[in-house]
Amino acid sequence: MDLSKLSPKQLLEIDACTRCGECLNFCPIYSQRGEEGINPRGKIQAMKKFIRGQYGLWAKLFGPKKLSEEAVKKFSEMVYHCTLCGECGLQCPVSIDSRNLWLALKEVLVDLGHYPKNIGLMKNNILSRYNVSGEDNALRVEWLEAMEGLPDHKYQKEKAEVVFFVGCVSSYYPMAHKIPQSFIRILDRLKIDFTLLGGAEWCCGFPLIGAGFKKEVQKLIQHNIEGVKEKGANSVIFSCPSCYHTWHEDYKTDLKLLDSTQFILKLIQEGRISFNEGRIKVTYHDPCDLGRVSGVYEAPRAILRAMPGVEFVELPNHAEHCKCCGGGGLLEMVDPELGAALAREKIKEIQGTGAELVITSCQQCVRTILSTARKMKIPLKVMYITEFVLKYMK
Amino acid sequence: MDKHLIFYAMFIPSMILFFWGMWFRVSLYLQGTLEGAEGLAPWGKLRILLGRGWKGFWKRPCWYLRTLVVEVLFHRRLFNQSFFRWLAHTLLVFGFIATFVVDMIKGFTTGYLVEWSRSIPFFAFAHAFETGRIRPFLDFSLEFFSFLILAGCVLAIIRRFFIRPDQLRTEEEDIVTLLFILYLELSGFLIEGYRIAHPEVVTNQVYMANFTPLSANNWISFFGYFLSLFMKGINLNPHFLWYAHVIPSLVWIVYIPHSKLLHIFTSSVTVIADRAKEKLQA
Repeated sequence: MDLSKLSPKQLLEIDACTRCGECLNFCPIYSQRGEEGINPRGKIQAMKKFIRGQYGLWAKLFGPKKLSEEAVKKFSEMVYHCTLCGECGLQCPVSIDSRNLWLALKEVLVDLGHYPKNIGLMKNNILSRYNVSGEDNALRVEWLEAMEGLPDHKYQKEKAEVVFFVGCVSSYYPMAHKIPQSFIRILDRLKIDFTLLGGAEWCCGFPLIGAGFKKEVQKLIQHNIEGVKEKGANSVIFSCPSCYHTWHEDYKTDLKLLDSTQFILKLIQEGRISFNEGRIKVTYHDPCDLGRVSGVYEAPRAILRAMPGVEFVELPNHAEHCKCCGGGGLLEMVDPELGAALAREKIKEIQGTGAELVITSCQQCVRTILSTARKMKIPLKVMYITEFVLKYMK
Repeated sequence: MDKHLIFYAMFIPSMILFFWGMWFRVSLYLQGTLEGAEGLAPWGKLRILLGRGWKGFWKRPCWYLRTLVVEVLFHRRLFNQSFFRWLAHTLLVFGFIATFVVDMIKGFTTGYLVEWSRSIPFFAFAHAFETGRIRPFLDFSLEFFSFLILAGCVLAIIRRFFIRPDQLRTEEEDIVTLLFILYLELSGFLIEGYRIAHPEVVTNQVYMANFTPLSANNWISFFGYFLSLFMKGINLNPHFLWYAHVIPSLVWIVYIPHSKLLHIFTSSVTVIADRAKEKLQA
């Protein structure tokens, strides 16, 4: 087992875990399965056991223990059964940065060749087709075809101040097409000088990082940064919180990076967006990658508060305590039924608020909640925040 | 043989083993990849890490000290999560640190300064720590802070073995750690109780000598005094009592790097690193 996939701090964090179990109260996976092996404490203890077996005092004196294939396989199941929601880290009394630790553990597992098959397929799609769906990357902007009154440049200009980085899910999954469509309608109406990268947009690399293939993303990072620079843009805006976070964390760029909610709030504050009065009760679901992971809680709420006639109610678990909808951390690929179980919990929570509509700022959350509600035959309305803004925008 | 000599003959190897154990753990951490120090040997990585820490500390020393007190010693996050856990933890942490500090002051002044004062008159003030006005305060502090450790340990035992919250999973290591602390505290108090109950036995044994005036034992050594009430009729070998406290205390020190007690150091680092990251992002 190669420890170089972890940082000194992460190795220290493994020893810092006192097995207090505070994380158990918040882990969505544990809430469903109730298995010790699958919760954050179980994962850390399993890793600690591997490290002690390989590098501990006993191993130094009598040689390292042979890694059992069965044990590593079990460990892989534990590590990949995670939404990467990050709530365990937020609640950890000793502040273990668990989300990054899980990512590093996945790198260790990839190195050992122990990762789910589906993940391998996804990796091949991204590295050969540059998108998560495996379709031709030139089809990235096919969703534009459904829009009326497109300008000649089809929002793919030579030069622009702002690049709208759409992301794979909104580009390829019809259920999420309304997200970029509504966002560019807003940008267009406000005469923002923006462009899409079109077929030149490649996956941001988040699915690879989330799966443990971090070293494979450099090519994608390089390409996307060059693509934005070629457009002469100084800002990139995102409707996908995972892309937004990945750019922030791994791209090391001086470009201004804004999530759609931050960008819209800025426009509202500048007085460029005003709203018609609505009569609707809504709630808001914080996407993990935008809220807990990126720390953006206030912008979407400020937008909703700025809309007259909109009655905004919080979910019982909101902001940093918001529960993952089940769509995070590639869980959909690893264990779709478990992801759906989390979505059902989320739907119950939403229904409990009495809101007519749940708004969120993540295409994956929209897909997960909506598709599960449909399967449950529940007429739940889910909207991405730009759709809602566009609906009431003057 | 002189008990001081025996003590140092055990203490020095124990400290060597403790520091070796700590280095063993740290060298394991240094096998990880440190950004900006890829390919460096463990010592090189350690130098860089210490350099970063030192530089970071001097950028905002007050903030780091405040974080150390509020977030590490008084564990604010735990306070918000569970008052019971916080109380047990804080009694243990604060008790250990305060006992350590007072013990160091007492040991240094009475063990070294008093000795040096014989040739260097400047150190004559140290007599106040040995038999003078300061001594009762030192003794009372030690008693009080040790009692806090005992109270914290009892609360932790009650929580783990009697309240048994669902989130807890007790392993051998947890039992060993708690029983170890309980034993060290109780054995210390028992020695104290014994020497209060049997002043005639300890008069010739300096290492067990009690400098507290007999009339003040009931408040300065309140818990030892309480135990002494039950020990008047019991006769034990004072050497045995001493070894029975000192040897496990030294074993406990050696045990720290190889047990969950290591979190005393590791979780302090994780908490400070987390708050520093938050501070930088803000």
